[in-house]
Amino acid sequence: QRIRSQNIVPCTVSQLLAAEQVDETFRIRDVEISQVTIMGIVRHAEKAPTNILYKVDDMTAAPMDVRQWVDTDEAGGENVVVPPGTYVKVAGHLRSFQNKKSLVAFKIMPLENMNEFTTHLLEIVNAHMILRKNLMVSSKVPQSFSSAGIGDMGGYGGGGSLPVNGLTAHQSQVLNLIKNCPVPEGMSLQELKLQLHNMSMSTIKQAVEFLSSEGHIYSTVDDDHYKSTDAE
Amino acid sequence: IHPTGKLFVLSDGEGKHTTVELSEPLEEEISGVVEVVGRVTNQATIMCVSYVQFREDKSPFDLEIYNEALKIIHEFPEYFPF
Repeated sequence: QRIRSQNIVPCTVSQLLAAEQVDETFRIRDVEISQVTIMGIVRHAEKAPTNILYKVDDMTAAPMDVRQWVDTDEAGGENVVVPPGTYVKVAGHLRSFQNKKSLVAFKIMPLENMNEFTTHLLEIVNAHMILRKNLMVSSKVPQSFSSAGIGDMGGYGGGGSLPVNGLTAHQSQVLNLIKNCPVPEGMSLQELKLQLHNMSMSTIKQAVEFLSSEGHIYSTVDDDHYKSTDAE
Repeated sequence: IHPTGKLFVLSDGEGKHTTVELSEPLEEEISGVVEVVGRVTNQATIMCVSYVQFREDKSPFDLEIYNEALKIIHEFPEYFPF
């Protein structure tokens, strides 16, 4: 079960165009993105029966296609076309079709206060910086866990949704506990549950199954005990 | 704004001035905060390609803070590519 990014991340068009796609996910330099906000000026607006296609320009790259679906049952109201020359804030999903990126907007709002634009610029730098830092920190897990250590780990990455080295924060925590277990028969699931207060047994079991299938750990005396393949 | 309507002078968030040249004279009155997209010439003026007047009817635009924000994004090209 893939854990989707829960965040909505402010971005520049140039970042969206540079984002790499792996299967269903987009990444901007390791930061996973799905829902984004951009701010720019409408250069072009084309109304079709079921949708409005805008080209929004934030000056970091060529204008980006933004599609807004129109609810044909609704009378007027929501479906007023934003005129070209207006600065807007767009919130939507990043899509890629035949290598061309576009956004499907769930909200397009003209900017009333241009200071929001300044804020957006800073939020982009801030959000990407923090999201990347979270990824870095998750990988430097402390070797000995105290319950305070676990509490801190739980705070990062919105509950382990950010993958690091192919492992989520949950999986990393489980792996590190197993790695550091000195006992010959390895770490038991019960012991993992005791040490990882934030995690449910099913989350721990899922992590153990994943790690085992990837070859990071192997079962010892029974299916409830595991040792790490990397152990010293 | 120059009488011919083909030149105007802007001052930025730090109080520095620059001259903006247009290929066609201005057809409307402009005032307040204007965003100009253009090329820098050898005479250190800007050849304007397009311009947009910022809405200030609801709240004034803080040009100094915008200037600071620009400096920050230039410091972090990895987070703000362009």
